[in-house]
Amino acid sequence: MSILANKDTRVVIQGGQAGVNAARRMAEFCYLIKRPLNVEAFVYPPDAGKTNEIPYGSGLIAIPVYKSIAEATKHHPTLNTSLVYIGADRAMKGGMEALDDSHIKVVSMITEGVPEKDAKILGAHARKLGKVFNGPSSIGIISAGACRLGVIGGAFDNLVLSKLYREGSFGVITKSGGLSNEIIWICSQFADGITTAIGIGGDAYPGTDYVSYLEMFENDPQTKAVVIVGEMGGDLEERAAEWYGAKKRRVKLIAVVSGFCQESLPKGMKFGHAGAKEGMKGEGSARSKSDALKKSGALVPPTFGALGPAIKETYQDLLKSGQVKEPVEPATLPKLPKTVEEAMKADEVMVAPLIRTTISDDRGDEPCYDGYPASELINKGYEIPHVIGLLWDKRLISKQEAEIIKRIMMLSADHGPCVSGAYATILAACAGIGLSQSVAAGMIMIGPRFGGAVTDAGRFFKYAVDNKMSVDEFLAYMKKNHGPVPGIGHRVKSLRNPDKRVKELVGYVKSLKVKTPCLDFALEVEKITSVKKDNLILNVDGTMAAVLVDIGFPVDSLNGFFILSRTIGLIGHWVDQKRQDSRLIRLFDYLVNYAAPKRREVPPLK
Amino acid sequence: MAKVLEGPGMGLMKKWGINVPNYVVVTSVDELTKLGQANEWLKKSKLVAKAHEALGSRFKLGLVKVDLDFKAAEAATKEMIGRQVGSITVTQVIVSEMIPHKEEYYCAVKSTREGSEILVANCGGIEVESNWERVKRLCLEIGQSPSPESLEKLSKDAGFSGGLAKKMAEFAGKMFACFDSEDAQYLEVNPVVLRAGDDELVALDAVTLLDGDAKFRHPDWNFAFAAEFGRAYSKQEIEVMAVDSKIKGSVKFIEIPGGDTAMLPAGGGASVYYSDAVVARGGKLANYAEYSGDPPDWAVEVLTEKVCSLPGIKNIIVGGAIANFTDVKKTFGGIINGFRKAKSEGKLKNVKIWVRRGGPREKEGLDAMRALKDEGFDINVFDRNTPLTDIVDKALQAK
Repeated sequence: MSILANKDTRVVIQGGQAGVNAARRMAEFCYLIKRPLNVEAFVYPPDAGKTNEIPYGSGLIAIPVYKSIAEATKHHPTLNTSLVYIGADRAMKGGMEALDDSHIKVVSMITEGVPEKDAKILGAHARKLGKVFNGPSSIGIISAGACRLGVIGGAFDNLVLSKLYREGSFGVITKSGGLSNEIIWICSQFADGITTAIGIGGDAYPGTDYVSYLEMFENDPQTKAVVIVGEMGGDLEERAAEWYGAKKRRVKLIAVVSGFCQESLPKGMKFGHAGAKEGMKGEGSARSKSDALKKSGALVPPTFGALGPAIKETYQDLLKSGQVKEPVEPATLPKLPKTVEEAMKADEVMVAPLIRTTISDDRGDEPCYDGYPASELINKGYEIPHVIGLLWDKRLISKQEAEIIKRIMMLSADHGPCVSGAYATILAACAGIGLSQSVAAGMIMIGPRFGGAVTDAGRFFKYAVDNKMSVDEFLAYMKKNHGPVPGIGHRVKSLRNPDKRVKELVGYVKSLKVKTPCLDFALEVEKITSVKKDNLILNVDGTMAAVLVDIGFPVDSLNGFFILSRTIGLIGHWVDQKRQDSRLIRLFDYLVNYAAPKRREVPPLK
Repeated sequence: MAKVLEGPGMGLMKKWGINVPNYVVVTSVDELTKLGQANEWLKKSKLVAKAHEALGSRFKLGLVKVDLDFKAAEAATKEMIGRQVGSITVTQVIVSEMIPHKEEYYCAVKSTREGSEILVANCGGIEVESNWERVKRLCLEIGQSPSPESLEKLSKDAGFSGGLAKKMAEFAGKMFACFDSEDAQYLEVNPVVLRAGDDELVALDAVTLLDGDAKFRHPDWNFAFAAEFGRAYSKQEIEVMAVDSKIKGSVKFIEIPGGDTAMLPAGGGASVYYSDAVVARGGKLANYAEYSGDPPDWAVEVLTEKVCSLPGIKNIIVGGAIANFTDVKKTFGGIINGFRKAKSEGKLKNVKIWVRRGGPREKEGLDAMRALKDEGFDINVFDRNTPLTDIVDKALQAK
């Protein structure tokens, strides 16, 4: 048996994330004792109509969220207990709502910092209705082997270590949330564990005091002794002593009280929980409480450390008198399924990775590119071309190579509004399309006829150089197998109207006095082709391709240089149109050659 | 509980119709001089000047001056402002009129479990302390207001009669209204005096404790709460309070000068048992501290730095029960960072650290603490199998 919380307890949780966290802990306990989840509903108006997903074993249970207690109990008429996790300023309203619902018999408030007056009103209201209001600031209530309300009991491992999966013989009542677990643990190590443990909250005037719960424990035959952990301040411990001393009680009472340190502290200095305040006339001191409890016949160990042995002594007496028997431990207990991460850490599972990367890792405090931390690269003077080198070719390129890349990017960043890419972006911008989609529209244009020849140009020049082909051999090979040479030819530029970008780039690379076999070969090709036709010159794609192959970039990365550079221009065009608030554009009829058949009659449908 | 200084306390009483002496709170003599030009009573009445700070025994310190004319009040103000008492500098002086009177009485409202209690006595000042049996009480349930009849009966029970009984009943009624409406936890007026001339009851000196948790519904509480222990908060304490107000969970820190055992335990309940254990072992506490409710690691780090900076400490007790949901690894991470920082600043020399803890991720947290040994910390780490306060015994025996 147990008190307050048992196998029939069905819970509604009022509140948001804190309530969901509590429900997870409660689900762990339900899983341990092999019972269905005792949480049936949440009440949280902002999320009404949604569900909260609570892990149970290796699965998830969807728990509905309602806008009011009334709605929750209408859908779940077996609800009888509410846990309040609402903020201090709205806690009273929430608590009242729960108390006023005829289904709800127990309300436990976890919220801290609730005004004293509100707590008193809630407590008085519950007493009037014959219900239980526990808290505020309660860590929760747990009945071993039966029911957990709130996070009391701690993590799953602690539930097992503290033998909360089966009933013991000790009741526990504490003000302190942290100490509740400590006492539960002590009861499981020095005795046979607990029946029910209740956190009543550390406020000055908790809704329900020791006496009410002592009365319940007295009527619970399974509970043979009760441990109370008191604090200075108020008179709850004195009232407990009064109750215990009033007549012969079935349960044994073991009690400790904190706050003896006050006696040797500077006058007026107080600390601990809100309720831990000594009265004006010395009432409520640790000593007066401790003395009152001793006088009532309770076992009062001198220090907290002596509590374990005191519990042990009580348990031994109970064993000797035959009131309790040594507990039988279950042969096996459910183990909480581990998350994949936990299981991997424990070397219990192997997971085949979905993807593999060899270039970057941001699992630390900052991204590392090919192993180099980004901030260190910055601080040591590296620039964007070096990052490109690391991410595209997994190597730290030289200063000179970086300069070449920088120039390539500067030369290909934009080519005016009329080219396919920029025009597509502008068209999209004028249609009111967003930045990323408009830039993507321009990007889609990059292909065999616009900007997309860099990779192929590089591939074929490299093929010729690697195979030591002559220009003639190369041209013959291309004609036979592939067609026109990528990187050669321009729509408007020609020998007489050369592309200044090409001249600039070639001039710079040549001035460096490094070996440029691909570039040299491409220029030789140009000499032959431009004789055949004036505009079959080495274009900017071909030049970039040859130079980049010469400085060692892999062929497959080459189009990337154009894509990356031109993105700068495409973004510029989008921002430009946006800034001008450009209107929607469409083609004028005179820009279209309407070569479609003339208007004619539609024949009847056959 | 939050203590309120006299100025704002009297302001709240005045709001609920209780007669209080005229008063002004000033931060400089110039301010008082200007107020003197605007308020005739300052020139006409006999005055009292008091340092308006959370200081105990102000009278003994010469920070209360009575029976002053305006000039003398100016001189007293000048003398008090800027005076250094321990860690506190006097920044405000309250100047109020002296109320000529013959009789002194007592009235208070205090919070009880059931609701509240109104206390009335027909003696006041220090006399009431030695004649506590003359104090009569009226107990009220929460939500219940005292009827005029019940207040008059209380007044008569306390020995008031005739018109004065009625006046005292009214006074007590106003006190209750103030208590109930302002979320007070304790209101005490001692003495209540019968003003010569108009025979009105006036609150001469008041203690006002409000429920700090109710601040959210009192937008007119535009005053700061004062420390309750007869001294102002130190800079370090205020810094921890500032952190505390910003976070989920809590961190608390109070310095106790002269101690050598520093406290860094978890939990509002366990922390006091740890303090008790130190005192029981004959140790001297250097501070009170506590963190709870799964606070962020950086907040615990700030708290740790303050604890490590306490002068003359020999031991640090990093105690704690078995946590429910406070993540031991995370909060210990904050403590470890704080320790490292303190060590790099040359602190923690010859300081022994004692750790005991349980709770979520306790193994990882305790292992991380143990690893500090390799960094040269004098640290002793225990798990849940060592009873809660045994580390205090070990620390204080290790001398």
